[in-house]
Amino acid sequence: MIVLKIAFRNIFRQKRRTVFTILSMFGGFVLAALFIGMADGTYNQIINKFTRNQMGHIQIHEKTFLDRPSLYKTINNFKKIDKELQNIDEIDSLCPRLYSAGLASVKEKSTGVRIIGIDSKRENETTQFNNKIIKGRGFSDIDSHEVIIGKTLAKILKAGLNDEVVIVSQGADGSIANDLYKVIGILETGDDITDRISFYLNLKDAQELLVLEGKVHEIAITIKKLSNVYKVNNIVEEKINNPQLSVEPWQVFAKSFYLAMKADKEGMWIMLLIIVLVVAVGVLNTVLMAVLERQREYGVLKAIGTKPFQIFKQVVLEVNILAIFCMIFGIGVAFFINSFFSTHAIATFKDIAYGGMKFNSMYAEINARSFYIPAITVFLAANLVSIFPALKAAKTEPAKSMRIH
Amino acid sequence: MEYNENNLIITKDLKKTYKDNGVYVNAINGIDITINSGEFTAIVGPSGSGKTTFFNLISGLDSLTYGKVWLNSKLISDMSGKELSDFRRDNIGFVFQAYNLIPVLTVEENIEYIMLLQGVGKKERHKKVLNILREVGLEGMRNRVPTKLSGGQQQRVAIARAMVSEPSLILADEPTANLDSKTGTELLNMMRRLNETTGMTFLFSTHDKMIMEKARRVITLKDGLIEKDEIKA
Repeated sequence: MIVLKIAFRNIFRQKRRTVFTILSMFGGFVLAALFIGMADGTYNQIINKFTRNQMGHIQIHEKTFLDRPSLYKTINNFKKIDKELQNIDEIDSLCPRLYSAGLASVKEKSTGVRIIGIDSKRENETTQFNNKIIKGRGFSDIDSHEVIIGKTLAKILKAGLNDEVVIVSQGADGSIANDLYKVIGILETGDDITDRISFYLNLKDAQELLVLEGKVHEIAITIKKLSNVYKVNNIVEEKINNPQLSVEPWQVFAKSFYLAMKADKEGMWIMLLIIVLVVAVGVLNTVLMAVLERQREYGVLKAIGTKPFQIFKQVVLEVNILAIFCMIFGIGVAFFINSFFSTHAIATFKDIAYGGMKFNSMYAEINARSFYIPAITVFLAANLVSIFPALKAAKTEPAKSMRIH
Repeated sequence: MEYNENNLIITKDLKKTYKDNGVYVNAINGIDITINSGEFTAIVGPSGSGKTTFFNLISGLDSLTYGKVWLNSKLISDMSGKELSDFRRDNIGFVFQAYNLIPVLTVEENIEYIMLLQGVGKKERHKKVLNILREVGLEGMRNRVPTKLSGGQQQRVAIARAMVSEPSLILADEPTANLDSKTGTELLNMMRRLNETTGMTFLFSTHDKMIMEKARRVITLKDGLIEKDEIKA
């Protein structure tokens, strides 16, 4: 108790030095909290854009489709699966898709495209499909033989709204599939490749063209809470219970994107290391100065019977009391800043491209780890660097320190 | 080794050699001395004669190069650092020239510090602090911090701190050096009175003639050896 009392009162002895130590720790804490909040916010924004707006959080395919896509690897009982999945509360929405490759031509211009058959209403519910249309409109319920193409594809084909496009592909029955469609919309996804090859048809039109009536290649599912993706994936897998189908979360079907995100997130530790160094230098400098100044005092304490460990404890306690103050104020300030930036985006100087998507704003996120990681980091750094001065204080030789100081 | 129960300190061929800037300095050259309980003794001598080193050796604050030291019948020269720390806490009270109070603690907290280390209960601590404050004439100042006290008052607190746990030996290193002669005389008279009433042994290291006059025994050191050991009638 007396050790704690001395440690606490020592804090107020050299106010300027205490302020400097507090600023090192407080600054380190707030910077780290802000950095993690911002990084998590931005990454989750990217993940959300990537999954919710394009891929979905979970996908169902014929079990070998992802490794070797083929026209014939279809899901044949979509209606039954759809019905089964309607009862899962965690699912937000789902939509079927059909894929194939083809050659699209407008007048003399031709290029290879990716035919994507979608259920326009459900696709819109799942990935906000209509929001990506920058010219024209979405698929109508009545009209058929309509096509929506990517922005870059439109440029390549020199196609505009109401132009007719001829598509040639292969039917599942071995026939040559070809038909004529009217361009009713041009879309921009933010993903350059997608915009260059996307050729969206109504699901029924696509099934008819490819002779795959009632069949789909993919079911994309979005869920209510991204962090539950593995849990919901398991539920879906159990519900379908079909060994011919694979149910996979975005981390698996978009593995390269996931790994790139993960690698980028690792960069956070480098930033934390820099913060640790800033805190460490600040704390070491001030604590060491204090210890050197108080050599005589430690000598007296030892002379009158204080054990070395009690002196060690006194120095470490002093640093920890300061660290606790910093944490309390730091949490308040970091919470305020992160809250502000979670609703007010920071605009980037120019568009940032990631995973084929473009971003021009960054949001922060408030989560537990943006507080506990800085707290652990600052505490560890402060305690680690206080060990040396504390040992020095504990090892003070009373006779020598009282003779010199 | 013959040990009389009245003997408080015994040193046998005490030697201490320092290395100072690469040169070996013999600070204590072989001191054999016995100090009995209840003595009021001054160790005197010119600067560099070895007074402070002798104090440090008999209190275990410094390691000796050769010889043996017994204090309270315990061979302290063989004790480990931790044992010495506990031994000093329970057996020796220190009064320093520069008072050396803990600046962040109040008078009361400074005085009870050693009792806290000893694990004395709150009630007993409080009682002892009040008694010793009365003895040293600082009753109304227990909540003051050292910086709010005069030099004489600080030295009184230091004496109270040294005596409160009733150690068998009080080591006072130049206790009056920083005080004016009036305050010094007052303090010295107070220590003499406490010596007589409590029977505690007081050992001074000093240049102060007044202490030499008041001391019942004066040991003169020169070049790390006892030059004269005078016991007054």
